[in-house]
Amino acid sequence: MMRLLMLAARNLTRNLRRSLLTGAAIAFGLTAMIMMITLQEGSYAEMLRSGISMLAGHVVIEHPDYAEEAEPELVVTDITALGERLHEVLPDAVVAPRMQIGGLLTSPTNSVGVGLQGVNAAAEKQVTDFDDKLVQGEWLDDADDRGILIGAALADRLDVGIGDKVVFMGQGKGSEVESQLFRVRGIFKTGGAELDGFVGMTTLAPTQALNHTPDSAHQVTLHLKNPKLAAEARDRARSVTPPEWKVMTWDEAMPDIVALIRLDRFSGDVMMAVIGVIVAMGVLNTVLMSVMERIREFGVLLGIGMRPGRVASIVLLEGLVLGFVATVVGIGCGIVAAYPLVTYGLDYTAFMGSETMEMEGIVVSSVIKGAYGWNRIAGYGVAAIGFTVLSAIYPAYYITRLEPVEAMRSV
Amino acid sequence: MSIVSVRNLQRTYQQGTITVKALNGVDLDIDSGEFTVLMGPSGSGKTTLLNCIGGLDTPSSGSVVIDGTELGKLTKGELSDLRLHKLGFVFQSYNLIPVLSAYENAEFVLLLQGVPPKERRERVMQTLKDVGLEGMEHRRPGELSGGQQQRVAVARAIAGRPALVLADEPTANLDSKTGHALIELMKHLNDVHGITFVFATHDPKVMDAAKRVVQLVDGKIESDDRR
Ligand SMILES: Nc1ncnc2c1ncn2[C@@H]1O[C@H](COP(=O)(O)OP(=O)(O)O)[C@@H](O)[C@H]1O
Ligand SMILES: [Mg+2]
Repeated sequence: MMRLLMLAARNLTRNLRRSLLTGAAIAFGLTAMIMMITLQEGSYAEMLRSGISMLAGHVVIEHPDYAEEAEPELVVTDITALGERLHEVLPDAVVAPRMQIGGLLTSPTNSVGVGLQGVNAAAEKQVTDFDDKLVQGEWLDDADDRGILIGAALADRLDVGIGDKVVFMGQGKGSEVESQLFRVRGIFKTGGAELDGFVGMTTLAPTQALNHTPDSAHQVTLHLKNPKLAAEARDRARSVTPPEWKVMTWDEAMPDIVALIRLDRFSGDVMMAVIGVIVAMGVLNTVLMSVMERIREFGVLLGIGMRPGRVASIVLLEGLVLGFVATVVGIGCGIVAAYPLVTYGLDYTAFMGSETMEMEGIVVSSVIKGAYGWNRIAGYGVAAIGFTVLSAIYPAYYITRLEPVEAMRSV
Repeated sequence: MSIVSVRNLQRTYQQGTITVKALNGVDLDIDSGEFTVLMGPSGSGKTTLLNCIGGLDTPSSGSVVIDGTELGKLTKGELSDLRLHKLGFVFQSYNLIPVLSAYENAEFVLLLQGVPPKERRERVMQTLKDVGLEGMEHRRPGELSGGQQQRVAVARAIAGRPALVLADEPTANLDSKTGHALIELMKHLNDVHGITFVFATHDPKVMDAAKRVVQLVDGKIESDDRR
């Protein structure tokens, strides 16, 4: 077998230019693919990072019906005690409880329907980069339960600035309409139309009061230092959470985003497979040509008593060696070529006109750093070798059909 | 005991509407240790006969028995193995694998036979010495003359210790001096090592070397002289 491998390798050097060109086509294809998937994976990672910090946390605790129905009364209660127990089992995690109430935000000149978020100001500052998005004023203070942050577009529409009064009217648990006076403490600009135009953010206490649900939250989100440990953290959180609440990891909590990424990745893979098939056709053509030129030689090998299958395996091995070398080179080049994307990222600011952009409703930074998708790179490598060997199958099969006498007659 | 036993061998080829009787009832026995020259003009059926004996071609009727095994009863794979273990071949030209050295070409059959490395090496070196290629082991076919290439082919044919070596006009592409030397070499191998050769040629000058001359005309044996 080693000898056959060596023979195959030497055969590839016979028409070195042809082998190099074919190998280069495979390698170049892989390099381009790796650069593309590095960008793709980077944007997925950014979407998830942003989604996790703003929407779900790595682990989220909610009322089992909240995700479906989003009714104000579907809260997790006794969150102070819960937070302490969570801190005991997950000392490194940041616990960020969140409330959401829908209602109307009114200024002397206008009123706009908004979603009011109640957050723990200290925790939220650690886990989201919302505080970086402030263009005026300052971040919330847990001691100030009249402070509100609003988006720039909302501020425009209400025609209010820092320190101005706004009134929130909303329907909490039960059916009474409650209202609360706030003072604009800060104005943020995320680049997301939804966030900037229709969201207010305040501390937990006023939202709990509006909702008539003290010491409670719609979601208790947990943010980990190491996102890979989400499943383990969920299990720990579950052990200290009363059984009536649902404890989920981020992927369980954001199934649509996860599904979307999976779908996008799949469609990317399909496209790559199409390119792979096209390259494989080229390889098939070359291998077939090189086999046709050597029919007599294969006839001699058959004649001296080499079994047809083994003769054919020489051609398969040639494909394997070519595919392997080209793949190693292609992956190496791809990793190197994608390195700037991973370290510096690709800056979409010029296209987007702002430092953030919206992807599938999630606000992300306009500078998307690539991320090496190692599993995918490995998969593509295996596929490239597989495609090359596959394109040697027909030529190899052709050899097994040869009659030695006829083969030797051709020169 | 005969190594080769051919009985009433017929081989017809269909060329469009014409049927060519390449072999038309050949009976032939070859004993171990013989050096048989198969003579006959071009088109007389020499190649066809050798190919049928070597299991490379399938007779239309009749039988070929090699060392007790009837070829007609073997599968393709079994025929391969029989060729590998019992027969050696020297073809007219382009016998060798161009990317392998003289040593590796001669070694190839032993590799296929599964001979262990140490023995393999000894046998290949000895065989190359026997055919007069000492010191040229590492040259590739492209770096050898035509006569030297045919010697490598002979080395490959005999390295596997076959019961019989079939050589189809191995000197056809050589000048007469080189060709003669090659024949002398095979004769020497026959004399000293007792290797059985069947050797096809249309060159009457070769006859002198032969112990036995079989004349083929139009697919039939016309004469069979032992001397
Ligand atoms: N594959 C083939 N198809 C048709 N005719 C063939 C084929 N092989 C040999 N022949 C014919 O059979 C006859 C004997 O050929 P061959 O055995 O090659 O003779 P030799 O080797 O003595 O020159 C010739 O007439 C040749 O044309
Ligand atoms: Mg002939």
